[in-house]
Amino acid sequence: MTSIVEAHGLRKSFGTTEAVQGIDFDVKASECFGFLGPNGAGKTTTMRMIGCVSPLNSGSLKMFGLDTRTSGRQIKQRLGVVPQEANLDEELPVEENLTVYARFFNIPSSVARDRSKELLDFMELTEKRSARVSELSGGMRRRLLISRAMMNNPDLMILDEPTTGLDPQARHLVWDKLFELKRRGVTQIVTTHYMDEAEQLCDRLAIMDQGRIVENDTPQSLVQKHIGREVLEIRLSEKEKSQILALNSELVKGHDSYRDLLILYSDDAERLLEIIKKTATNPEYTIVRRSGLEDVFLKLTGRRLNE
Amino acid sequence: MNPLKPFSFSPRQAFRVWQREVSVYRYVYKSTIVSNLMDPLIYLMALGFGLGAYVNRMQGLPYIQFIAPGLISSSIMTAATFETTINTFVRIHFDRVYEAMMATPVTVEDIVVGEMMWAMTRSTIYATVMLTVVTALGLTRSWYAIFVPFMGVLGGWMFATLGLTYTSLLKSIDQVNFYFTLFITPLFLFSGVFYPIDNLPQIVKAIAFLSPLYHLVEIIRPLVLGRVDFGVLIHLAWICVFILIFTAVPVNLLRKRLVK
Repeated sequence: MTSIVEAHGLRKSFGTTEAVQGIDFDVKASECFGFLGPNGAGKTTTMRMIGCVSPLNSGSLKMFGLDTRTSGRQIKQRLGVVPQEANLDEELPVEENLTVYARFFNIPSSVARDRSKELLDFMELTEKRSARVSELSGGMRRRLLISRAMMNNPDLMILDEPTTGLDPQARHLVWDKLFELKRRGVTQIVTTHYMDEAEQLCDRLAIMDQGRIVENDTPQSLVQKHIGREVLEIRLSEKEKSQILALNSELVKGHDSYRDLLILYSDDAERLLEIIKKTATNPEYTIVRRSGLEDVFLKLTGRRLNE
Repeated sequence: MNPLKPFSFSPRQAFRVWQREVSVYRYVYKSTIVSNLMDPLIYLMALGFGLGAYVNRMQGLPYIQFIAPGLISSSIMTAATFETTINTFVRIHFDRVYEAMMATPVTVEDIVVGEMMWAMTRSTIYATVMLTVVTALGLTRSWYAIFVPFMGVLGGWMFATLGLTYTSLLKSIDQVNFYFTLFITPLFLFSGVFYPIDNLPQIVKAIAFLSPLYHLVEIIRPLVLGRVDFGVLIHLAWICVFILIFTAVPVNLLRKRLVK
């Protein structure tokens, strides 16, 4: 499969802050590629570089085989960008937000009119076509932003936290639409800090932390590789923690510890718990659950706030 | 950012930026044109008729006839200034219109040129409407006045360059006020709109020569009154040189502001 985006050694600093510290990744045609990371990990900066609005300090970034340094205009002609914060045109009604935007891509106005009708329909906004942007709810704004980004029939859509700040109903509607786009073969790059979003949408994920990509794989492989099938959580004292770890059971694939919480990764957490219960300790709180991306995320990016 | 980086400018994309402003203007022109033109018209009535009753003649003209071309000139200044200060500030910081444009095949250079073209358009509209009103009042004396809208283009360009330069340096919208109180208002009062500056002290005359509005007034008044002579060309040259020198300044400043 051909790569739509090829990034090598991307770096970007603002003053003394190194927002992105040399990252490599590639995005293949028709896949949905996700950047997952805590706030301040460098996701938005990376997206801005991909969107050709933020010049790289060093490294190389090729999109559709073109260099972002020299071919920004040609690349942007083929992109659909959904920014994190809505920057809709508040001075224009809903439908004109789409048709005026289409002019920047030099789309003929008759084509733009048809396409805007089609997209408003797709995004369930037809009723609001003459409304002012200020009359729209958060979810509607986001859907309008996505429609706007689709006006030029982009080969690649870039969505920066597409569902942040939306209520559950609106999130599911947006996911549904993005999934449908994926089915139509539109390549997508998504940033998020929601695990369920990453699991739902992304074929491959790059987990970012402090300006670096710490892992890059499919969601399933990430979970399998770092966690295993299940997780056992126990609350107990420091002394008991070390006792359990001293067991050095082969069932434990890895562990993490946060205050009085011990988190054990295992393919068979029930059996592990039985073994632990035999070693005199009597933990006050235990839970056995299926593992998920969140476990990978916390393991790789740490449990402390790093803002 | 290297400030000497070559410009990436496309006339077609600048035109697209200009078109966006036209689309927006279609919704607001009724209210803005009235409110913006009320200002010079009130001056024309209050001072022309009011003060004019006490002022005998100014350069051999009835007072209202003297100030009418001056107020056409100042309406060019205000139109381009409002557009490139308050409106541009809102587009950068509040509505983030430029951010949205830059996600498309539009560059900062296209945005600056498109906004300048729009400011010129608005100045030209205002100059034309003002000229029509002044003519309807019987205050136009020459067919040369048909060149006034063209001065709307040049004057709009000049004040758009200044306005965009100032706005690209601003951190908060409150700072826009300084531009009006410390720059636009003094220009309005000391550029020969209300009285000839010939009789002022030498030093004030020297400062007035630096005023962009002064040169605009000294072109538009002869055009409206049919007193065109060689001096008009000198003022025209001043404006053209100003435009040539300063147009690139806001392009560089806004690039620093918008490309991070």
